[in-house]
Amino acid sequence: MTSAPENGTPGKSVTSQSIDQDEDAVVIIGSGAGGGTLAYELTAKGIPVVVLEAGPYLTHDDYVNNEWESFNQMAWLDPRTTSGSWRVARDFPNLPAWIVKAVGGTTTHWSGATPRFKEHEFKTRSVYGRVDDANLLDWPIGLEDLAPYYDRAEKAMGSTHVHGRPPLPANNNYKVFANGAERAGYKFYATGPYATNAEEYDGRPASIQDGFNFQGDKNRSKWSILVREMPRAEATGLLDLRPDSQAVQITHDAEGRADAVLYLDKEGNLHRQAAKVVCVAANSIETPRLLLLSATPRFPDGLANSSGQVGRNYMRHLTGTVWGHFDKPVRMYRGETMAGLIGDESLHDPDRGFAGGYYLETISLGPAFMAAFVEPGAWGPDFTKLLDAYTNSAGMWIVGEDMPQESNRVTLNTTVKDVNGLPVPNVHYDDHPNDVAMREHAYTAGEKVYGAVGAQSTHRTPPYPSTHNLGTARMSERREDGVVDRWGRAHDVRNLFVSDGSAFTSGAAANPTLTIVALAIRQADYIAEELKAQRI
Amino acid sequence: MVFPAKYPSLNATEMTEEARQTLIRVLRVAFPHESVPDGPYERTADTILTEAQNETWFRVALTQGLLSLNQMADGDFRTLDDESALKVLRRVEGTEFFGFVRRTAVLNLYDDADVWEALGYEGPSFEHGGYINRGFNDLDWLPDPRVEFPVGETMPEMAQGAAGVPRPVAEGHTTDSTNQPGATSSDMEEVKK
Repeated sequence: MTSAPENGTPGKSVTSQSIDQDEDAVVIIGSGAGGGTLAYELTAKGIPVVVLEAGPYLTHDDYVNNEWESFNQMAWLDPRTTSGSWRVARDFPNLPAWIVKAVGGTTTHWSGATPRFKEHEFKTRSVYGRVDDANLLDWPIGLEDLAPYYDRAEKAMGSTHVHGRPPLPANNNYKVFANGAERAGYKFYATGPYATNAEEYDGRPASIQDGFNFQGDKNRSKWSILVREMPRAEATGLLDLRPDSQAVQITHDAEGRADAVLYLDKEGNLHRQAAKVVCVAANSIETPRLLLLSATPRFPDGLANSSGQVGRNYMRHLTGTVWGHFDKPVRMYRGETMAGLIGDESLHDPDRGFAGGYYLETISLGPAFMAAFVEPGAWGPDFTKLLDAYTNSAGMWIVGEDMPQESNRVTLNTTVKDVNGLPVPNVHYDDHPNDVAMREHAYTAGEKVYGAVGAQSTHRTPPYPSTHNLGTARMSERREDGVVDRWGRAHDVRNLFVSDGSAFTSGAAANPTLTIVALAIRQADYIAEELKAQRI
Repeated sequence: MVFPAKYPSLNATEMTEEARQTLIRVLRVAFPHESVPDGPYERTADTILTEAQNETWFRVALTQGLLSLNQMADGDFRTLDDESALKVLRRVEGTEFFGFVRRTAVLNLYDDADVWEALGYEGPSFEHGGYINRGFNDLDWLPDPRVEFPVGETMPEMAQGAAGVPRPVAEGHTTDSTNQPGATSSDMEEVKK
């Protein structure tokens, strides 16, 4: 599919396949890294699916090389509220998350870093031990369960540095970053792993280093659901894709099995799609919101919420940015945004004063986003100095594990309604002392890296609205500790699955997309087997 | 209503040219860039004025705010030097008026091709073939670094003895949660006979 088929009937399929709304279908809610992967993997096995996507069908031709124009084109801008002591609640009170509302979800906006989880990051409760006020729990699976699916995900996404994929070349921002890393005593730096082609692969061309990753890659060199999974799923003839279709409730029958999904089309009409399996992959804010909106007398606290953990343990990664200002030009905006990673601090070393680890990754913003995010709320000569240094600036982002906390949670805010009259999600977040200690350590490390190559000044930028949203319907061995089991299947509802980052039991240091994709491939295998054996 | 009658300018639906000039001066002082020409500041001021027209509350706040600047300047804000003007703006930093001006300015001033050029940013690049042949790696004041991880070495996952050391304790922690069974720090705090 090369152009957006926006002329279809509202709330109906835009592909050649159309499944009757009364037919019990496999219904996937969301078409991002989790839902899009699941849709492709299931249709490839001969299983027809209905995909409900809240956003429009944007294509590569629609993407624009302009930060605000692109943001307004694809960002999830439905009203949300925030609370808690995190700075995002003060700086961006109605924008807790920076994610995408479009076919392909946030894989449109993601930049491409694909590190794997480490073995111990599946066992945080056992390895980190008791961390006060953290709700740590070991995953019900380990690296050994996921390793083969990591392989499949990396091959699907074309991750550099693995499976024979060559590394990307060093761009300007990386040259500063890597030289600084070397001189600061770090060893494990590289331009990846990164799911953007250094050379043609899988029908996708090599990167032209245009610097627009966050805005959707017009060149199709970056892996996204839109460039790989969606067209292939459609080619099976088994994909019924319904853009501009926002799920608002999952209903159940007398036995407590999910039996349909109610959704709104772009004109506000309510539809009902009958379902034999429902997979929720709506990102970690909308997934719990949907489960909470689906409360009934049988599930009074929300669907699949007998544990009370739906919406809790919201994680967003540590995050933070360090900018270095030099006396010579860098021009960090030229080239792949995040093709640079330092892994030395990603280990677990409690001697640093905190549990878990973090990566440092290159990042670049244009002047428009730099002005909005570099020091929110600031103005005056100190602020404009940061922008005057633009040409000579290098940037790095901190991605570290934040602690799951029961009180960090997504709830329904019944005092604020969205355009459809539904309560908006409220996102509450307080930094854990472990998060604060790690961020301080990471800022200092970043300053050391830039200082080592002669930075004249550095600047610490606080966390942006969250792109890594995790943990609000977490996996657990025991049903009282979490929402879904080792397959992402709800403990309480046998034919309900969670297929996105909400299922993460802990966040690890790694960027989450690779793990979301690996989990979705694994889940697709499981769902296919269960369907075949008629156990669902 | 007494207030609008006493100050008829508050009811003006159109901003005066003087008010516009004051606003441009506010933007120059609040977001000083020597290299940025007047055009972007004027366009940003016009954007703010347009947005203010659409919201009564913003219009009132903006009208009052600009008038108050002249009062605080003991005359005409536009005649103050940079330093004095900055001081005046610091005094109104917390007002609705200034917050509206600042937010709108940050979103619009830097989304302007003239500003990009002044700051050294090249804007859209896909239509020019990206930077693959236009300097994505032209930085020459540092050596070319390696792009792969060191050969034959494995990134450490855990520090030696990481599992054996005392665990980090959060300050001011409250109570145990049901998912965190085990020893708590309070076990050591009270000794009973």
